[in-house]
Amino acid sequence: MNTRSILRALADSGIISSPQSAVIEKFETEKPFSIHSELRSVLYLGIILFGGGVGVIIYENIDTIGHQAIIGAIACVIIVCFYHTYKNRLPYTSSEVENPNKFSEYSLLLGCTTFLALEGYLQFQYQTFGTRYGLTVLIPTIIFFFCAYRFDHRGVLSLAVTGLASWLGLTIAPMSILAGNDFTDIRIIVLAILLGVMLVALGWTSDRYRVKRHFSFTYLFMGGNLACLAALTGLFTHDYKIIYFLIAGGLCYFFILRSREEQSLIFLLMGVIYGYVIITYALFTTFGDTAAALLATYYFLFSSIGVIIFLLNVKKFLGIKK
Amino acid sequence: MKKAFNQNWIENLKIQETASSWLSKNLISADQLSTIKAVFAEHFYRPGIFIKIGLFLFAIIACSFFAGFASIFLSGGGSDAAIVVLSLVCLGGYAFSLEYLIKTRNLFHSGVDNALLYSAIGAAMTPVFILFNNLEIWQYCIFMLFIFLFAVLRYADFFAALGLFAVILTLVATLLVKFPLGKALLPFAVMALSAAIYLAVKRIKDTYYHDRAKLLEVLSLVTFYLGGNYLVVREGNAFLNELNAPVSPQVAFAPLFYFFTIIIPLAFIIGGVRKKDRILFILGLLSFAFSVFTYKYYFGFLTPAQGITVAGALMILLAVASIKYFHTAKHGITDEQDSKRKFANLEAIIVAQQIGQSPQHGGPEFGGGDFGGGGAGEAY
Repeated sequence: MNTRSILRALADSGIISSPQSAVIEKFETEKPFSIHSELRSVLYLGIILFGGGVGVIIYENIDTIGHQAIIGAIACVIIVCFYHTYKNRLPYTSSEVENPNKFSEYSLLLGCTTFLALEGYLQFQYQTFGTRYGLTVLIPTIIFFFCAYRFDHRGVLSLAVTGLASWLGLTIAPMSILAGNDFTDIRIIVLAILLGVMLVALGWTSDRYRVKRHFSFTYLFMGGNLACLAALTGLFTHDYKIIYFLIAGGLCYFFILRSREEQSLIFLLMGVIYGYVIITYALFTTFGDTAAALLATYYFLFSSIGVIIFLLNVKKFLGIKK
Repeated sequence: MKKAFNQNWIENLKIQETASSWLSKNLISADQLSTIKAVFAEHFYRPGIFIKIGLFLFAIIACSFFAGFASIFLSGGGSDAAIVVLSLVCLGGYAFSLEYLIKTRNLFHSGVDNALLYSAIGAAMTPVFILFNNLEIWQYCIFMLFIFLFAVLRYADFFAALGLFAVILTLVATLLVKFPLGKALLPFAVMALSAAIYLAVKRIKDTYYHDRAKLLEVLSLVTFYLGGNYLVVREGNAFLNELNAPVSPQVAFAPLFYFFTIIIPLAFIIGGVRKKDRILFILGLLSFAFSVFTYKYYFGFLTPAQGITVAGALMILLAVASIKYFHTAKHGITDEQDSKRKFANLEAIIVAQQIGQSPQHGGPEFGGGDFGGGGAGEAY
């Protein structure tokens, strides 16, 4: 099927008139080729590559003549970026701000990533903040939180959240939670759960009180994954299993409810998968190894069919209209 | 081949999608769109992507434990014959559930049907591997070719189409490398085969196969480029001839492959713009990036970090310049937004994954985080 056959079908059933059909056909054949999203992707990827590369280059060139020049150039990039963002700012509101300037969103991101590289280096080379290493991480985190809210930027917000996590000694980037955190240490687990739950609460509040509602996804997703994975690890490897079970179970329940209010099904998926894992684990540890070995096949077969039936009818169960 | 899904509904879906895009351009009215949705109705069960993922995961679990369940009765000491019987029983179970659910629940690439189809394909292949365990690769390929072809024609499935393409390519490649001359001609054979597949799928007009034809277009363009790419040819040649030199030796016709490496991305980009073909255009950009990488791999004078920084800076400059230049439509190209931005949340998470991980350089006090900045390097 192409434009012409679709138009013919619509015209034949009398929904559109033939002049309208001619207008649409003219539009379809003459419209220019939009490379909007491709250019944005190139720009985004360029900023990520540049920010990452600069962070390494600084260290590579310590003790060379070009060193000061590189630092100077990076400082210039940062100043230009922040100046551009500031010049094109819009007044703060608690709702989502659509900046008509095409580049302000990207200049802020570039400014923040290069700032991160430079600031880390200044501490490394000159001990700008002495031995108070926490301050090195806390300062960009505070700046990023401020920028994220003031200039309305989700990418900078997630940078701020990662900064907050690493200030506490945690890794929160979704693909690195298990590899990056030492969950054999019970303190790290507790800390991760606390931070995760706090972020989830923050996400819920920002949605509930309509302060930058579109930020709530970032908080819920990053915090929820951290807290759930930490609680699962605690459940598998540590004592006081009941506490971890209750925390993880509570979070899963919250996510399933959330998906209903927000009509966002990624939280439903998170709730169902984490929930399935903890319930399965709890059942198998309660009934012991022999019963588990005997019943595993039946359990997995029928429980997964049960979950499929739940998911197939989820809109009915949760009253989601979409 | 009888198709598994309702052809009319698929065409109606396409009509609805096109009409919705016209509404966003104010070419039709909202009333007209709702009339279109009523007249050209479809009743597929199409959940969102996340529900699909969940359905797929749990359906795969159910399928594997169905096999485990059936094996309680049929394993019979694990003899070859018993396993063959077991996989045929499973095949029957999966195929029946697949057809039954498509009919009764109106599934349409909804996760469950995909999982059942892949389990059925796996169950259909097992007996061949068990009964004929010393065939050559190309003989297995011919068998798999028929299974995938059936799955694609009947279910128009994504991974079946991917498998079909891979099997065709493997078949030709394994037959060619048997001969010394074949090894030398392999790049040209891959390019010719890819071009033939591309031209063939371009002729498919049936809406039922629309998305799968697009997938095969992408795959054949990718293999066409890689078949002519200097890096792939040179390293592939060293690998096939088992030359364990630290630096793989120069290949025959090297200038020709230099030429391909440069010209194919440019041809893709220009062709994409001329024909308003987004697939061609995007693959042109990606293959261009890979060509730059190819050049840097053999003739590079920058360290990886410098390479990434320079590439990033050039990409930023190029993108900014193009966005300014195409602010108003020129040469049939525009920077105007075509559809709404879909991945804003995802983009934010990617930033956190790539750059956000602990800014400091190796501070032991911070425990956890690792320095993730350079991570983008390999992907580039």
